[in-house]
Amino acid sequence: MIKTEKVLHLKSSRGRKVRVVREHYLREHVPCHSSLCQAQCANEGKVLSGEVTHYVVPDAGVARDFMEILEFREIQGIVFTQTACQAVQHSRGRRQYNRLRSLLKDPRHDCILFANEFQEYSYCPREKGEPQDKWQTRCVYHAAVWYHDHLAGMKPVVMITEDQTAVAEYSSLNCGVYILSTQEYLQTFWPELQAAQELYCSIAQSLRERGSEGTEREYTEHLPAEVLEAGIKSGRYIQGTLNVNKHRAQHEAFVRFEGSSNKNSELNSDVLVCGGKNRNRAVHGDMVAVELLPKGEWRGRTTALTEGQGEEKGDETQSQPMFTGRVVGILQRNWRDYVVTFPPKEETQSQSRNSQRILATPWDQRIPKIRISTQQADKLQDHRVIVRLDSWDSTSLYPNGHSVRVLGRAGELETEVQTILIENSSPPPRGGGQRLELGVHIADVTHFVKEGSLTDLEARARATTYYLADRRYDMLPAVLSADLCSLLGGVDRYAVSVMWDLDAQTLAVNKVWYGRTLIRSSYQLYYELAQALLNGEEAEVPELAQLPPGERDAKLAQLTQALEILTHVARRLRGQRDRGGALELEGVEVRAQLDEDKNITALVPRQPLEVHETVAECMIYANHWVARKIQESFPQQALLRHHPPPRQEFFNQLQDSARARGFTIDTRSNKALADSLDRAVDPRDPLVNRLLRVMATMAMSNALYFSTGACPVDQYYHYGLALDRYTHFTSPIRRYADMIVHRLLTAAIAMEKGAGPAKVLASNKELEEVAQQINNKNRAAQHAQKAAQHAQKVSTELFQCLYFRDKDPETDERCVADAVIYTIRANGMLVFIPQYGLKGAVYLKNREGQVVSERQDGGCDWQTGSLQRYLDHISTTTAAGTSTFNLFQHITVRISVQPSRCHSNTLRLEVVSNRPHQAPETQAQPPQPQGARGRSQLVQEVVRQAEEASQQAEEKRCRAPKLSKEEREFRQSKSPNLYSLLEEVREMALLDLAACGGAGGGGDLGAAAQACATSA
Amino acid sequence: MAGLELLSDQGYRLDGRKATELRKVQARMGVFAQADGSAYIEQGNTKALAVVYGPHEVRGSRSKTLHDRAVINCQYSMATFSTAERKRRPHGDRKSTEMSLHLKQTFEAAVLTNLYPRSQIDIYVKILQSDGGNYSACVNAATLAVIDAGIPMRDYVCACTAGFVDETPLADLCHAEESGGGTSLALALLPRGGHIALLQMDARLHQDHLETLMEAAMTACKGVSKVLDEVVRQHLQEVSALTGE
Repeated sequence: MIKTEKVLHLKSSRGRKVRVVREHYLREHVPCHSSLCQAQCANEGKVLSGEVTHYVVPDAGVARDFMEILEFREIQGIVFTQTACQAVQHSRGRRQYNRLRSLLKDPRHDCILFANEFQEYSYCPREKGEPQDKWQTRCVYHAAVWYHDHLAGMKPVVMITEDQTAVAEYSSLNCGVYILSTQEYLQTFWPELQAAQELYCSIAQSLRERGSEGTEREYTEHLPAEVLEAGIKSGRYIQGTLNVNKHRAQHEAFVRFEGSSNKNSELNSDVLVCGGKNRNRAVHGDMVAVELLPKGEWRGRTTALTEGQGEEKGDETQSQPMFTGRVVGILQRNWRDYVVTFPPKEETQSQSRNSQRILATPWDQRIPKIRISTQQADKLQDHRVIVRLDSWDSTSLYPNGHSVRVLGRAGELETEVQTILIENSSPPPRGGGQRLELGVHIADVTHFVKEGSLTDLEARARATTYYLADRRYDMLPAVLSADLCSLLGGVDRYAVSVMWDLDAQTLAVNKVWYGRTLIRSSYQLYYELAQALLNGEEAEVPELAQLPPGERDAKLAQLTQALEILTHVARRLRGQRDRGGALELEGVEVRAQLDEDKNITALVPRQPLEVHETVAECMIYANHWVARKIQESFPQQALLRHHPPPRQEFFNQLQDSARARGFTIDTRSNKALADSLDRAVDPRDPLVNRLLRVMATMAMSNALYFSTGACPVDQYYHYGLALDRYTHFTSPIRRYADMIVHRLLTAAIAMEKGAGPAKVLASNKELEEVAQQINNKNRAAQHAQKAAQHAQKVSTELFQCLYFRDKDPETDERCVADAVIYTIRANGMLVFIPQYGLKGAVYLKNREGQVVSERQDGGCDWQTGSLQRYLDHISTTTAAGTSTFNLFQHITVRISVQPSRCHSNTLRLEVVSNRPHQAPETQAQPPQPQGARGRSQLVQEVVRQAEEASQQAEEKRCRAPKLSKEEREFRQSKSPNLYSLLEEVREMALLDLAACGGAGGGGDLGAAAQACATSA
Repeated sequence: MAGLELLSDQGYRLDGRKATELRKVQARMGVFAQADGSAYIEQGNTKALAVVYGPHEVRGSRSKTLHDRAVINCQYSMATFSTAERKRRPHGDRKSTEMSLHLKQTFEAAVLTNLYPRSQIDIYVKILQSDGGNYSACVNAATLAVIDAGIPMRDYVCACTAGFVDETPLADLCHAEESGGGTSLALALLPRGGHIALLQMDARLHQDHLETLMEAAMTACKGVSKVLDEVVRQHLQEVSALTGE
């Protein structure tokens, strides 16, 4: 090694310039990572293929500005120089650099890093007075020349640069090393890659525009990072994530600070950031530093509902003044890809002098308008386009961005589904005798998907299977999910099993066995069939259809008995958890019934069967025991899932609403919450309890994956399930986390047998990285505190809108429905419509200042008057009289669709009458939610009573599912038809709900309730 | 700078070294004629000067005298020009006092003090340029100076630091790595017997990793001892050539 020195000029913490001398060691052997290498370089890991026509070396500027083009998988043989990588790291920040790192790690992408600055012959020291970019270009050029010579001239090397003088200076120096500009390069070598060229134009345009910006200040400058860091440490500034209020995106944003690092204990609620100036260019999701304003300028949160458009006049309806601040700096941008809609032509011309710049409106209301420079403005009007943000200078009112990909015309189904996707980027038991053997068998996916294989990497990148209302995006190829890893009836399948030896009386666990097994399911049941068997109804089991009647009855009795034991066990397991404080929460799920042309014929709230709960309980039990096992075996590097306790202030709404009905909700612990929710039952209106549970669900924080090494033991607790350790083990087909857990379990079993782990397991840090990635993917899918998966939720909304779009609200009776008020706001209330599972806002005051008033016959109309809000009711006063709307009161509303061009369509609700809706077809709706609620209440009670072994209530359950032939077929079928997909969404939501983001679904195991009733 | 990447994905550190590689060590003995022993060492950009006086009679208060062995007196100081910003107080501050104490402990473990009862050995160390690993540079310089003074020791005392980044132990940290917020462990070793003369770590570290970190530091110390041995042998050759033997 040769030692040289590098002199750097850095800024010290006090802002002074400091001369720093750093050592710089050079070596002769730096691996070139090319398969053509003649010099026996120690090439480890990824190697460039020798099959490409040339190698391409982007210079620092190209790597910095045009990374997205280099990300095209078609462009192969990229040699990133260390110089270029460092340029990316310094000028683009950690996010961009991490993207580059993952690109370099991705085996599907043919690119490598060459550490040119540590190579003796390719390193060139920076000369005195040489500008940095010149030096970087020179370094990259020398690296390219070295690379070419190193491979003995076997491959031509192309260096791409944006610097025209460099092209002129170097291009004639060496044969075999070509210098081109990016555009030339793309045109010469990749003429067929149209998308890359368009992307190039779009980025180049936005770069040019950035240079020619005006100088007037729109915002105050951000403070430098050192000042922010010092300020946060001293408590002067508060660090947190900016959350923009969706309904008042222009004005209100909140900063939620991270963790308990803040010593300032009086700050226990969010900080309000009011208005665009105070927000100072921060975008939703960014990590910001805020400074509190003097107390005199504090303001309250606006409680009025707004429709998210236009300016508000006098904000007279404010709550208590709260902490208010302004953003002084941005610690980390959290920009992602946004979907925007280009405005139609007539608007573009009026809004900018320069027709090349267009203000496009993002689909997400919380994101400000984005200025995009494009020449395709005409072509793109009314299209939805993916854009990336580039910068937001203090001189510009809006952020600058560039377009990446066109999704399609707004309003088309395909475009809308793509939009949603991008915006949300992203057990069978054995029983008998004194002891019971309970086994949960999960398909052995990791046997087929080897760690590090391409399938594995792709699955890791996808992290989960996405379910939308009419389609799904699989994590694993269909051959695995539908066949090899589906425990079909009558065929041998590989599985990973957990078997418990339980005491029949006390359910104490005598022994647990984990291992790989071979499974042949005797029966492949689906939920409705199993429920029918349990209820003692006539049901036809396909596997038994061929047998003679006598034998069939015997088998059927055996099967039914096994199912009963399973149900019994699950109920008692659930009871155990309930005593520990497990929560039973509610989410609202709707199933859209579609006809052949994908038209929606009805919206039906889904109804959980008891079998669902049984299977979910077994899954939770298996997950819990696997978590215990892997945590014991790998105390530092096991992937678990925890559910932190929710913040108390989120319960305020729930407590207020409950108080209006005379219930108190105790939120001090999960047990107290569960008990008080159980007590809060109004005998006259079962919906009250259901709504309270929905509100409790919304207050929950998210369950998260983590690596045991990264978290103290007391934080392993799962709040919702009341378990000390929990993980995801039961759905490896559709969740990547489960695959990791499978691998950990396999390694743990191997370790127990004396063999060391076959391979070095992922370290704590790597695991934590993966866990974060999966969490992010899940958060995208499983938004905020809602139990239902977000993408699904949005897609459900999409389908709800589609359903109501074609109905005329004035005449169609289906558009009038019964609704329950669950929250009172300043100018209206939030209601829940059980018939369609809809939640929405109802305004009692319109833009003209008129309020809703009640006529003699109960109907409502708009009249001039005033509005008065109380804690538990809201009343309108007009010349005609006063009408009052109480919390939890039933009213009748009309549903209509409010079209929106830039955002998704929304449903609009209007009060029709202040009385419960009594349309004839309400009765005609076969399964009423009331009935459903009554049933599940019953189930809940039964669970408790089961502890005392009293189960007579069981027989009272009489629900006759009409199992038509098609339905049975659809539920069994694995082909992606709509019905089965919706069915899976339903199952997933159910199970996730049961765990509030917890239990896995047995759904993808083909509802393969395999019952092997043998006595132990 | 929080964004500093101490260990790249390719396994290179900031200055181009791999995880186990030491910085370049250069040393000279007998740099001053008037002292009994002296040495100068460069470990990368850390430069240190050590001077030894003694053994001689105990100066100052007689009460310090030990009747069975020699007293070792150490003084550590940093030149005002040794850091990027001028240092106000070259010695006597808390850090220097602590460092002096550490040096004293280290050399009490290594020097055969029982050969010189009722006497005193003075070791003065000065950091001329600081770039991480000050303690280890001082120990190594002082070792050479003690040898130059002809005072018998059990073995060379070699010191080196090791840090822990991304679950990988890094040997011989430079200043940027030390201030990068990671763990840093300083270890002084008597390499032949494998005895640890001093072990110091201020940061937090999971105890599972301590073993590997110490292992890395000890390997690094052995590497340093080879270099020092080389220097001593070469110095001897030069000196003996001068005296004409």
